[in-house]
Amino acid sequence: MGTLGRAIYSVGQLIRKTGQAVDRLGSHLQGGYIEEQLSRHRTVLNIFDKAPVIDKDVFVAPSAAVIGDVQIGKGSSIWYGSVLRGDVNIIRIGSGTNLQDNSLVHVAKSNLSGKVLPTIIGDNVTVGHSAVLHGCTVEDEAFVGMGAILLDGVVVEKNAMVAAGALVRQNTKIPSGEVWAGNPAKFLRKLTDEEIAFISQSATNYTNLAQVHAAENSKSYEEIEF
Amino acid sequence: MANLARFTNKALRTAYSITKHHAQPQLASSERAFATEAAKSITPSPDRVNWDYRGQRKIIPLGQWLPKIAVDAYVAPNVVLAGQVHVWDGASVWPGCVLRGDLNKISIGFCSNVQERCVLHAAWSSPTGLPAETSIERYVTIGAYSLLRSCTIEPEVIIGQHSILMEGSIVETHSILEAGSVVPPGRIIPSGELWAGNPAKFVRTLTHEETLEIPKLAVAINDLSKDHYHEFLPYSTIYLEVEKFKKSLGISV
Repeated sequence: MGTLGRAIYSVGQLIRKTGQAVDRLGSHLQGGYIEEQLSRHRTVLNIFDKAPVIDKDVFVAPSAAVIGDVQIGKGSSIWYGSVLRGDVNIIRIGSGTNLQDNSLVHVAKSNLSGKVLPTIIGDNVTVGHSAVLHGCTVEDEAFVGMGAILLDGVVVEKNAMVAAGALVRQNTKIPSGEVWAGNPAKFLRKLTDEEIAFISQSATNYTNLAQVHAAENSKSYEEIEF
Repeated sequence: MANLARFTNKALRTAYSITKHHAQPQLASSERAFATEAAKSITPSPDRVNWDYRGQRKIIPLGQWLPKIAVDAYVAPNVVLAGQVHVWDGASVWPGCVLRGDLNKISIGFCSNVQERCVLHAAWSSPTGLPAETSIERYVTIGAYSLLRSCTIEPEVIIGQHSILMEGSIVETHSILEAGSVVPPGRIIPSGELWAGNPAKFVRTLTHEETLEIPKLAVAINDLSKDHYHEFLPYSTIYLEVEKFKKSLGISV
């Protein structure tokens, strides 16, 4: 039965390819065919019945991909090239949070310790460029530096900072008000009050910046001017 | 009779709410409270664009600032240039990069290349007090997946793959940064040296032969980028067809 199924599949494939070749021939006769393809990238993609719920004030860059069971609260921004895959578990992102360019938020189905955790990101969190957040919890007003990698079960408490390039191993808890850095991530120093205030300021700055980008990206063909 | 109806209604309602609570996904109690609170306050917009046939635009002007690309620079169609970005002659920006010059200027010098999936950003101000623009001078090779933020890269440098250069760092001419190195804010990598690690530490000085290889690598990648460049026509015109079609049918996507 397997080989018969495969045979039928390949016959179907042959028929489709023939059809496409005939279409190309017809376009040639019409005088030149269009080779370019339109972009099929879907910014907001639902996996069967799990659809992302995104607040109307959120800037989602067109090249980002928000997939599956993801909820994004008001004023947040998902920047260019980021991927939020809520396919096997849920992702919750609070308000005023920004996930900067090329970052990845995901949860795996299988885990060495057997637990599968949702990824929960609080309010006013700044997640730097190219960060990788995998099955972790980031509480309000935390700062994840660029290029940081947070593995399963990591909890970044309020006002904590993960420095750039840090690799935070599984189930590490980063206490409030501390900076952890390095690979594997270790305690580096405590945050000064100034720096803690700066974190919430930067989240606000990013929300404003996101509005500028949102306005520009949502222009239709006629409105683009340069 | 009415009392009985009211009582059964109330019992049914409480029974229903209990079962609903139990049916929720297994989150820790604090997380559950957090999640449901967030869910209550999200108001999705009915006209959010879930799919735009144009994909992501390559050049995103912000206000007055328009990204400028030299005529013979190869910028992959996948790349996002936003704000004040200048890509000078012979430079190449490979697929997947994001160059966000929204807070400050970014410039890629002559014959330099920014390889795949890099993110170049410029902060508003640098901790060193110097101008916080990200400027990459000539003949620089920036390896894949690097993150550069408000740094100055002097001519003829190789930055290894997946390296992270933080605000205010300066990489002086003729030096090489190994792959995976993280340069803390405000650090200067002196001329002619090889640095590596997280945080970046001195490894050894470079021999003269190695120093001569650096611009050769940049030129080699420039040659390679010309092959890629020639695969694309200067601009695609399919969007014209689509817009005509949409207008004739009165569709708005």
